Amino acid sequence: MTVSTTSRSRGAATPAASGRFELLRALGSLTALHGGAAAGVIAALDLPPWTRAEHTRLFVLELPPYASIHLGPEGKLGGEGADRVAGCWRALGMSPPPDADHLANVLGLYAELGEAAETCRTPAARTRLGHVRESVLWEHLWSWVPGYLDAAHRASPAVGRWSRLAAAALAREVGVSAAPHDLPLALRAAPPPVTAEMSLGELLDALTTPVRSGFVLTQGDLAGTAVLAGVGMRRGERRFALRAMLEQDSAATLRSLSDHAHRWAALHAVRPAKATDPHLDPSRWWASRAATSASVLRRLADESDASV
Amino acid sequence: MPKDTIDLDTLGTRVSAARHATESRGETFYPGASGIHLAAFPPRERWDDWVELDSRAWPTRVERHSMLVPTTCFNCESACGLLAYVDRETLQVRKFEGNPEHPGSRGRNCAKGPSTINQVTDPDRILYPLKRAGARGEGLWERASWDEALDAIAGRIRKALIEKRHNEIMIHIGRPGEDGYTERVLASWGVDGHNSHTNVCSSGGRTGFQLWTGIDRPSPDYANAKVIYLISAHLETGHYFNPHAQRITEARAKGAKVVVLDTRLSNTATHADYWLSPQPGSETAINLAIARHIITSGRVNWEFVRRWWNWAEYLDAYRPDLDRTFSSFQESLSALYDSWTFDVAAAESGIDASTIAEVAEVVASAGTRFSCHSWRSAAAGNLGGWQVSRTVFFLAALLGAVATEGGTFPNAYNKFVPRPIHTPPHPGVWQDLSWPLEFPLAQNEMSFLLPHLLADGRGRLDTYFSRVYNPVWTNPDGLSWMEALTDEEKVGCYVALTPTWNESAYFADWILPMGHASERHDTHSYEQYDGQWVGFRQPVLRAARERLGETVTDTRQVNPGEVWEENELWIELSWRIDPDGALGIRQYHESRARPGEKLTVDEYYGWMFERSVPGLPEAAAAEGLSPLAYMRRYGAFEITRGQGAVFARAVPVDELVDTTVSPTGRVYTSAPKPASPNVVPTASPAPDESGRRPVGVVVDGAILAGFPTPSGRLEFYSSTLASWGWPEHALPGYIRSHVHPRELAPDQLVLLSTFRLPTQIHTRSANSKWLDELSHTNPVWVHPGDAKRLGIARTGDLVRVETEIGYFVAKAWITEGIRPGVVACSHHMGRWKLAGHDQVSPGGMMATVALRLGEAGWSMQARDRVAPYASADPDTRRIWWSDTGVHQNLTFPVHPDPISGMHCWHQAVRVRPAQPGDSHGDVAVDTAKSREVYRAWMARTRPAGSVSPDGTRRPSWLMRPLKPALPLFALPVDAR
Repeated sequence: MTVSTTSRSRGAATPAASGRFELLRALGSLTALHGGAAAGVIAALDLPPWTRAEHTRLFVLELPPYASIHLGPEGKLGGEGADRVAGCWRALGMSPPPDADHLANVLGLYAELGEAAETCRTPAARTRLGHVRESVLWEHLWSWVPGYLDAAHRASPAVGRWSRLAAAALAREVGVSAAPHDLPLALRAAPPPVTAEMSLGELLDALTTPVRSGFVLTQGDLAGTAVLAGVGMRRGERRFALRAMLEQDSAATLRSLSDHAHRWAALHAVRPAKATDPHLDPSRWWASRAATSASVLRRLADESDASV
Repeated sequence: MPKDTIDLDTLGTRVSAARHATESRGETFYPGASGIHLAAFPPRERWDDWVELDSRAWPTRVERHSMLVPTTCFNCESACGLLAYVDRETLQVRKFEGNPEHPGSRGRNCAKGPSTINQVTDPDRILYPLKRAGARGEGLWERASWDEALDAIAGRIRKALIEKRHNEIMIHIGRPGEDGYTERVLASWGVDGHNSHTNVCSSGGRTGFQLWTGIDRPSPDYANAKVIYLISAHLETGHYFNPHAQRITEARAKGAKVVVLDTRLSNTATHADYWLSPQPGSETAINLAIARHIITSGRVNWEFVRRWWNWAEYLDAYRPDLDRTFSSFQESLSALYDSWTFDVAAAESGIDASTIAEVAEVVASAGTRFSCHSWRSAAAGNLGGWQVSRTVFFLAALLGAVATEGGTFPNAYNKFVPRPIHTPPHPGVWQDLSWPLEFPLAQNEMSFLLPHLLADGRGRLDTYFSRVYNPVWTNPDGLSWMEALTDEEKVGCYVALTPTWNESAYFADWILPMGHASERHDTHSYEQYDGQWVGFRQPVLRAARERLGETVTDTRQVNPGEVWEENELWIELSWRIDPDGALGIRQYHESRARPGEKLTVDEYYGWMFERSVPGLPEAAAAEGLSPLAYMRRYGAFEITRGQGAVFARAVPVDELVDTTVSPTGRVYTSAPKPASPNVVPTASPAPDESGRRPVGVVVDGAILAGFPTPSGRLEFYSSTLASWGWPEHALPGYIRSHVHPRELAPDQLVLLSTFRLPTQIHTRSANSKWLDELSHTNPVWVHPGDAKRLGIARTGDLVRVETEIGYFVAKAWITEGIRPGVVACSHHMGRWKLAGHDQVSPGGMMATVALRLGEAGWSMQARDRVAPYASADPDTRRIWWSDTGVHQNLTFPVHPDPISGMHCWHQAVRVRPAQPGDSHGDVAVDTAKSREVYRAWMARTRPAGSVSPDGTRRPSWLMRPLKPALPLFALPVDAR
């Protein structure tokens, strides 16, 4: 992927505004940069360095920071989830970069819009750009990034300070932005949640699709689930590993997954809300999805016990 | 997650300050993709010292520091940008990758670009001048000095010029180096000796476009097209496909439809929305049926047609019975093509009428976003193939998709050839061996007929150069070439300028080693989008050393061995031909800054970039560089973007002096033509009777630039064809191919022989081990139904393919990717060297053959195929293949199209299982039969002496790479 790191060099943005948006750009860039390339940014942010291997494990293997994975109907790279973000670039008359929905690029765009608004000559133009920036915030950042940062925090202590900073910087943006009038499109149009009537294949699909399950399920989470369920974890992609666990002990695995979903419901629920109507708040939406998953998985576990 | 206690504002300010400080030092705060992503490129501010880890040192981390020096690929015509990674310690090239600063290729390359490193480091390349020691073709050579070679060759040429034997000097080039450079060298010598490969390549395609627009190549704006219509896989997957393919891919991502007409399932066809596999030669029928559909369904852009077609001339010539009004023409046009129904096209092509109808509707719906191309393939395969491209452009002209966004441009709009420091005058002789009277309308030199014209006794050559060209291997009827090149009565001295051994060089008297992409200077510009750019090929080690402060005055100082480049060679040779300037040659190779001294390449390009490339001096100055230094550093410069409809621009008032207007609206002026820095070739319509030059055309009362055609408009009706003996083909129409089913015997099939493999490029990509490993065989494609009928049991079985003059033996590939009744074989394989030529290395691609002349003619049999061998490159021990394919072109007689002059490559053949004793790669040819075929095709011509309307031997307005002075166009007295 190519990281969008352009910023206006017109120099008209106020220092405070410039720093506000540069901070977001810098935090985003670290999901793409690593090794020597990231050294300057890490130093400027006063973060503890992380190794190249840790970076690869987290941002390439465990938790690739793409909106399409977290908001897309299949939980995969590209597709509708990516198109929505790319469409935002196009709507602005810009060519979307490759991997437009990568967190580094979305935060880069957000920062660019924020800085551009500061340099607008007319209040009307500034207002228009402000609306655009806020729509990026609600549609393409706040709709999934808090959950992603929670997952990153859980997955790698090495990036703990980075994820806390990013969460705080994003929360500040939410605090100074006007409340949204609706749920983000990706959540409004999300496919149905997990149900007890699903086939095994459908269940596996849903559990590995955040926007359906309400939670993020990494390889690390699976390993933890396997330990708690007392089953072995076979090496392979997540669906394969999960299927193998269910085949070994479906009740224990489902119960462990239900606990995982419960934890996520709680994580989502404690996030600060912005929307006046709780039904329009993304965190509440995610919490509801996770709670539904927890309930369904518990029921399936019980049924599995009964059938044994 | 616990709340962070750090003050975000403080932190933000700190990050901003760090970025500002970093970028103030000229460094990059967000290194971005360059450091970490395969799809990205080194940012140009780091080109002086680019650091990578040495992969071979793994797991130890060893840094390799490189200077990145741009150049231009030399493996095909598209001139994609390359970046040479020059090791700062060894000052040797480590690898080649794409140049992101190149506007055409945009950092991307096909396999042939990076493989340049194989050619540079080829252990078997020719490093020193060689002089023949034994008889021609015997294989004995001795090393010579450049002085010895140049003095000997210059002496011959000087003697010939003094004795007025100008027509005994010829330079035969393969793919172009620098636009116009060789032509100007020859012009400086006063010689009409430019010969090119174009009539075995693209002249059929060119003819159709030139007749319409006066410019012989199209420039489709693929990236913005709605419908892309391609006849041939050639350009988009074989030849210079990289810049085109990447833009077609962009268009497809935006929803464009791709239609491909190709009898063979090519790489391009596999990416098409519609793949039509027509009977070879019937492509024109499909085009005409689509044209009819556009007309009958009311999708003609009539306003465009009214303004820009020469419909009035058509009415004057063919329908004087009608009112001279546009509505008369509209009715007439409908009637003209009314017979080309989908059913008729289906009967000709073998494609379902419903499929043609569906494609026709797609094309008709494109509007002005219709990008089309036809290059080799059908236009190069068939008698009358030039009508394929004429009818392709017909579709664009009907839709008004000419020089529109997403449409099809004349290439001259999107090409920039900078005016050089010297421009010698037109030569005062006419070379009949290249431009014989039988072909007054030939698009390019009749190069492939040379052995036959020599055998006819029409002339001889004292000194014949081939320049990175391999006529024995590339041309049809190669053994006739071999006979000519070994006959010292016909060719007095043969000089092969080549980086590698090839099938022609064996018969040379001198072999002069030439540089590859990173070892020579050239400028380039090609049509790849609606814009103009100039690319710079340069000896990268010269540029690298100059960056380090060294002075290089001769490219041989940095090239391997004594490998040279052409520019310096031609300057030096010209000085030796005319050491005191008495012949008038030297002046064109002298310094302007230091009169009386030799021109250097630095001055040549410095002058050009300073004065002839608009915008470049300013861009260079902005970086504190001279224009030459800018080009040495970045390798390319984009001059314009968005040329648009150049033909519709108003003629400046100061060009309208003492004007006259013809009855059809052609405007002539007495004002001199303003000097343009761009000398891109186009046709040059004749002046009026008083010598005024054509300057534009009247359209709706305005004087607009128009097209460089006699009428100034798009020529639906070609007055040139009509008046030069071919009135029946003056309109876009259908010519039945020589391989039309009616021309075939019941047991004959059509052989398609013109297609390329994407990873090779004739013999120019020779000795690229990576490419050889990818592509080293050329089986004969046979449809399963034909295979069953012919008794070919399985893929890999040997078959004998019989042509008019002989046969070749190849492996069969049974596939549904080819139309029944048609077989196909790529011309890219079948490299060979003669037994006993031990100086030629085994290489990765050349079979060692025995070539014998018997009562039945020539026979060639492989003695040894390729195998692992020891050399300076350990990879030569790893050659795992033995196949080298078959050299099929040897078995093709010449088929000159009587109008375009294009060699019509398709062959009517018989295919049968191999006979006892046959071996893969065997070839048999009777050159006496090839003479008979030559004569039969010459009988199709209508020589200038019998058809010329004005006592000239060729319409002077048509393009010609090197044009003699106008008086030379007069017919010779004995031909009148």
